[in-house]
Amino acid sequence: MRLLLVEDDLMIGESVLDLLRAEGYAVDWVKDGEMADTALDSQTYDLVLLDLGLPRRDGRAVLRRLRARKDRTPVLVATARDAIAQRVEGLDMGADDYIVKPYELEELLARIRALIRRAAGRAEPVYEHLGVSIDPVTREVTLDGQAVVLSAREWSILELLLARPGMVLSRRQLEEKLYSWKDDLSSNAVEVYIHGLRKKLGPRIIQNVRGVGYMIPKSAT
Amino acid sequence: MSLPLSHSLRGRLLWLLLVAIISLAGVQAVIAYRTALAEADVIFDYQMQQMALSLRPGLPVGGELGEPYGTKDEENFDFVIQVWTADGLRVFQSTARAELPQRAVLGFSTVQARGTTYRLFSVAAGAQVIQVAQDMAARREMAGTLALRTVSPMLVMVPLLMLVVWGVVSASLAPVSRVRQQVATRQADDLSELNEEDLPDEIHPLVHELNLLFHRVRQAFDAQNNFVADAAHELRSPLAALKLQVQGLRRAADDATRDVAINRLNAGIDRATRLVEQLLVLARQQSNSAVGAKAVPIDLTTLARLALADAAGSAAARQIDLGLVQGDPGIVMGHEAALRILMRNLLDNAIKYTPAGGTVNLAIRCHDGQTLLTVDDSGPGVAVEDRQRVLDRFYRVAGTEGSGSGLGLAIVKTIADLHHATLSIDRSESLGGLRATVTFTNVS
Repeated sequence: MRLLLVEDDLMIGESVLDLLRAEGYAVDWVKDGEMADTALDSQTYDLVLLDLGLPRRDGRAVLRRLRARKDRTPVLVATARDAIAQRVEGLDMGADDYIVKPYELEELLARIRALIRRAAGRAEPVYEHLGVSIDPVTREVTLDGQAVVLSAREWSILELLLARPGMVLSRRQLEEKLYSWKDDLSSNAVEVYIHGLRKKLGPRIIQNVRGVGYMIPKSAT
Repeated sequence: MSLPLSHSLRGRLLWLLLVAIISLAGVQAVIAYRTALAEADVIFDYQMQQMALSLRPGLPVGGELGEPYGTKDEENFDFVIQVWTADGLRVFQSTARAELPQRAVLGFSTVQARGTTYRLFSVAAGAQVIQVAQDMAARREMAGTLALRTVSPMLVMVPLLMLVVWGVVSASLAPVSRVRQQVATRQADDLSELNEEDLPDEIHPLVHELNLLFHRVRQAFDAQNNFVADAAHELRSPLAALKLQVQGLRRAADDATRDVAINRLNAGIDRATRLVEQLLVLARQQSNSAVGAKAVPIDLTTLARLALADAAGSAAARQIDLGLVQGDPGIVMGHEAALRILMRNLLDNAIKYTPAGGTVNLAIRCHDGQTLLTVDDSGPGVAVEDRQRVLDRFYRVAGTEGSGSGLGLAIVKTIADLHHATLSIDRSESLGGLRATVTFTNVS
């Protein structure tokens, strides 16, 4: 999952960045509204964590532009302005959720998970498909009831594919979701993780559509 | 004397007018009484005189005193007539009861007899003296009746007059009631202006001043609201950072990560501390300006040397060349501690935003009756569109270090305002970065 963090406060930004990365999210961090606009134009994110009081371009303007482009990326507004009027304004302008600083990290993570889940069209917190179930909160993966241990990257790829069964994701798309700008990626990294997943979950679960990418089929074949 | 309703204009007017009218009626009654009495004196005296003179030719000479002529005590005549002979023998008396003392005085006189006052007129007729007397009570009674007749219509008019006064006063005070109504019905937080139309000249200035006061209070109110909103944001940000830093520390898996987390937490605490300190400085300066502490003459250049010494350490740490380029002897009226904070904040700002190896210049210049304090730096400067906003509380220029409180220039501005000086932000011509100028107007 790839997130865009829009935060002008350096101290908050670097802490959130590290904490989200430790959670296995690929995070890009921009520090002003113009950069946020540019990032949102050039890249699709699974979620935007948006501060409203931004230099150069206000967070509200960023949000308005995003929604004007019919972009449905979930937006979680995180700001220190807590007046009800401002919260209502933010939500009415197209934000999906609102969290007031200072917040508990656990709450932030839970809201991020909920928004991503909703964006994928699901309400239930645990994904279960073809005998594989993953719990995004505990990061537990089971295959036919047996616990399976995955690396962080393997887990991320499985989560991406399992979130939308039947949808083919190209290697490039997977890379984009897995890595932020700063990470350097080796050319065959995705293949390595797919190979690892197949070894742990059986060869049939992830299918390769040649020339297109990878998918988890909607139903067992 | 405290009148009932003395706090109500209407009540006061009514009472005072009532008292005035009644006093006037009283005075008029007294004057009427006195006048009537004087006139009665003139008329009755003339009557008595005529009566006595008309008796003179017809008196019997040396006659004996007979029974009083046709007298009945009950009739109690106003006038009493007596006739005396030269050797003191009373020869005639009109009523038996009215024995008046014999008077040698001829003409008019006043005597006390039988518990009342008599007016007496005596005239000599040959060997006899004719005396005509009248009880003064009769005269007073007549004068009293006359006076009452003069005043009584006025007493009847008093209630009517009061009604009219009530009506006129009420009508005249209607605009006051209207204003009162407007004030009474408004919400506690409604500080909008009152309607000044159609107000009488006596009340208009009061309402106008009230409106000006409303305006000032509203401005203070708005400023306070803005400050609270800004402060809420700015106090929460360092706390949010601290909270995240603690969570980072808690989640740190190894020593290296833990060290990073601890350093961040330290920096976060420093930042929160700085913000609190700056807020305190700001609050102190604002309360100073509210209290109106007494200004004393201060040499800015001497103060500038102290401020430069204060800032030298942080400048050296970043290899910044800090110095005084001009030091005119500029004396301004002000508060030393506040001005030192002002200089320190300007220098700190310049040092913070100037890259290592840069230059910061402080100068005190005097000309045209003004003393200018300028701080130039070789940093990136501030874009034209941001220059006004950097003076706002909590405003930080985009992409600057997160450690600033955003209060530095707001504090400078508050202190400048306290000294009736102006703060302006420009491009530095000499160093290419930012130039902050505080312009003091010299006192003559």
